[in-house]
Amino acid sequence: MGGENDELLDADARHFLRRTGFGALKRDFDQIRSAHETRGHAADRFLAFAAKPPRFRPNGRDFSSAHNKWIKTLIRPRAPLQAKLVLFWHDHFSTAFAKVQDVALMADQIELLYTQCAGDMRVLVKSINKNPAMMEFLDTVRNRKAIPNENYARELQELFTLGVEDFAGNPNYTQEDIVQIARAFTGWDYDRDAFLDDNRHDFMDDFPARGPKVIYKTTGGFGPGGRSFTVNGEGEAEIDTVIDIIFQHRDTDGKNTVARRTARRLLEYFAHPDPDDAVVDEVVMNSGFDTNFNIAGLVRAILVHDAFYESGAAAPFTASTKKSVKWPVDFLVSTVRLLNIKLKGKDQTLEGGNFASALDHLSNMGQVLMDPPSVFGWDWETSWISSATLLARYGFARDLTAARGRGGTSFRPERLVDLGTRTAGAIVDDVTDVLGVTDQLSGSERGALVQYVSDGGGANATVDLDDYDVRNTKLHGLFALVMQSPAYQLH
Amino acid sequence: MAITRRQFLKRTGLMAAGTVLGPNLWRNPWVRDALASTIGDRYFVVLFLDGGNDSLNTLIPATNGAGTLRTAYEAARKTGNGGLQLSPSDLAATLVGTDPNTGAQLALHPGFTGLKALWDLDKVAIVQGCGYPEYSLSHDQARSIWQTGNPLGIGSLAGTGWMGRYLAANYGSLDIPGVTIDDTVAPEYRQYVTSVLAVERLRDFGFPYDDFVADSLPDDTPAKRTAFAALAASGAGSGQAAEVYIGNSGTATLTSSESYPPLHGVYETDRGGFSDQYQGLGTGTARGFREVAKIIYGVSTGAANVNARFFQLSNGGYDTHSDQGAGETDGQQYSLHKEVGDALKVFYDDCADMGVANKVCVLVWSEFARRIKQNDNGTDHGSQGAMYLIGGSVNGGIYGNHPNIDESALDDEGNTVYTQNANGFRSTDFRDVYGTVLKHWLNMPESTILSNVLLLDSGPAASYWTSKNFDLGFL
Repeated sequence: MGGENDELLDADARHFLRRTGFGALKRDFDQIRSAHETRGHAADRFLAFAAKPPRFRPNGRDFSSAHNKWIKTLIRPRAPLQAKLVLFWHDHFSTAFAKVQDVALMADQIELLYTQCAGDMRVLVKSINKNPAMMEFLDTVRNRKAIPNENYARELQELFTLGVEDFAGNPNYTQEDIVQIARAFTGWDYDRDAFLDDNRHDFMDDFPARGPKVIYKTTGGFGPGGRSFTVNGEGEAEIDTVIDIIFQHRDTDGKNTVARRTARRLLEYFAHPDPDDAVVDEVVMNSGFDTNFNIAGLVRAILVHDAFYESGAAAPFTASTKKSVKWPVDFLVSTVRLLNIKLKGKDQTLEGGNFASALDHLSNMGQVLMDPPSVFGWDWETSWISSATLLARYGFARDLTAARGRGGTSFRPERLVDLGTRTAGAIVDDVTDVLGVTDQLSGSERGALVQYVSDGGGANATVDLDDYDVRNTKLHGLFALVMQSPAYQLH
Repeated sequence: MAITRRQFLKRTGLMAAGTVLGPNLWRNPWVRDALASTIGDRYFVVLFLDGGNDSLNTLIPATNGAGTLRTAYEAARKTGNGGLQLSPSDLAATLVGTDPNTGAQLALHPGFTGLKALWDLDKVAIVQGCGYPEYSLSHDQARSIWQTGNPLGIGSLAGTGWMGRYLAANYGSLDIPGVTIDDTVAPEYRQYVTSVLAVERLRDFGFPYDDFVADSLPDDTPAKRTAFAALAASGAGSGQAAEVYIGNSGTATLTSSESYPPLHGVYETDRGGFSDQYQGLGTGTARGFREVAKIIYGVSTGAANVNARFFQLSNGGYDTHSDQGAGETDGQQYSLHKEVGDALKVFYDDCADMGVANKVCVLVWSEFARRIKQNDNGTDHGSQGAMYLIGGSVNGGIYGNHPNIDESALDDEGNTVYTQNANGFRSTDFRDVYGTVLKHWLNMPESTILSNVLLLDSGPAASYWTSKNFDLGFL
């Protein structure tokens, strides 16, 4: 059993950097190793970020410029772990431009996530309740006393807090709870212009007297009477009360329902897709998240836990090896950072192959930021993988390595590996080191790469990388093949 | 993270998904032989209406007949601003059959003229009242239930789709029997034994090789292909489930990236008239059906390494909580039905012209219907709805009973009740529809269906699926 005082050795340091940021860059790796940082030190350093968001509000009003601005922010993050947490909450509080149709409101929601991604989760959910992009997305603005709209009340419980079922498979709430909570959320609207001027309390309220409500009569551990609440005439207090009750909900094991579900989701996101229930309960207990709901504390408990480091295991993988499929934004952003590629201009274009923008590449891979496919966010893990999305990843690798030239937006392998006449084995090791997967490749995968570079000559065959044609064919080709390998799709 | 689905599956054993169903079982040659229920030269297409289609305003009671469906409909769906009620005159041009139970005259939504045209050809079976016990109003959970064919979360069925289990029984790791017209594999086809492609556009499906030309060296593309194939094979040979999946997917992608893109040009050349008809509709659904048609044309004309017979496509936008629209031509639901109906009509005509209409069956489903009583100007989530089957060999007609929509018969949430009681409002379990397709279209023996694809519920016979009926009659 390891703990927060364990020093981060090479493999764990790389794993820590991959998961708390985008790719294990050499300078960041060196910083951890030269200071002999422990799990706890590194976690504290990465969690010490300011709540203030980067200047995110898009210059243009169109979707693609806002999207690509976010990508640009991710490629050079001021605080990588903050950026990763924002992406977690963006999936969690999934809100899609396809319905909201308002870039400024979408950007405002992302700023909210930057500000509150590591604080008190109750405050975060209360803010989301009143977030105009969310109010549009889940029809809160269309939820009126005479004809309640259940959309937000349902997803608030199913997706944002409780989940449909607890760990034992028992329902966490009933349709009646949805109806009662929907009643509490009637009457809300917002003044868009005032809101965007940062006058955040200028909501147009029309809060009718809706009478007493009772929720969780059969779930939540509140006893046979459930929890009743009546806060008439003041909508904000009433929906805040709903959140406070939800965060007291206990599952059929007697554990705090929101804490367990949130901890499981964060473990799935940062560690691997199959955390044990016992690990979930440990990180909740170690952080006190079931009483303080402090997100940074919960994340820290995960980052010092052995379960987090399991998925950094080296090849060869076996049936019990825990691995997670790299999601498209992580795949693209970390690759661009590792290869020190600059994307060009406002559209963040990759200057090779099809000269497509970051948005186009990510769209083909199945993950457009600010436009998740539904309120459920994205489907993760092997759902990222299909022939279509694999071709998109393969095409990205091709386009990137085809960005030839000496310009600032070109792929410059001579700056990443030594040229000259070298053995095929050494060249393969250098390239897989740059891409951070040397210890993730099996012997047969490495063998396939060696055979390619040496044209069948083997690991000791020499290859002249000073030769223009050889370099442009084999070295560029090798980088693309590593990025196209099954191991590179995992992390 | 579609966490609820994952939790739902996990609870029932997702992580063992690849092995639960037992590739071991399927790899047993004796079992494979026993299951070698050849489908001959048939095709099967699944069309998913994503978001929960409002069934009550898709198939509408235009009269009461001997019952009160129309009266109950008019009580639930308002007239006037935001009202969703469709009047008899709105429905006059799209009348179909009568409800077997009440004799009520039924009509399709006025936007569904494409489906009405196929109905008139006797090529449409409408199966009313499809649902399952303990219905879910969560999009995610309900969708997963329909896709897995597993309402009660039985562990041995988890992680695989209902059609996936059929494919796993009949195809091996070197086969590519299915194509999803999308960028992800449709969950109803999910399994870990054989390959299902995800293709948005055939012509863009080529493998991306670098086109750099080195004057002093031979063409490097064959070397790249060899290396890529070896990497994918290595991944497939790893023990780690995700890496195996990525490796196998990579191999299938490489092979089909060479055999599928040419189908586009062949179809455009040989069948340009139909291509223009799809394009003229200008919708995503029409575009999707055109991709299916290209592949069917390739298979039926013997294109090399093109053997897919199972397809899936979807159309979104059915989650009409607000601004649903009644019969007006610029309304949301009108556009949805127009898009799907018109695309189905062109696709059917195209298949008929290819001479394969009798060999193609399309199944249309949605994760739930919508609340009987409308809200302000839309509808919330509901329970049972109608399924549709279209094809040259389909026996056109109305099957199953219209649910009882009288306010007094609704449950506490205002939804119709699933019942297997032998009364006039008995529901159709969607697994009987799947089973009828498997038995009568895909020749799977009933005993195999019941042991490996669809498992009967345990529970009171009145409210659970405890006995099957795989002879609904539409095929």
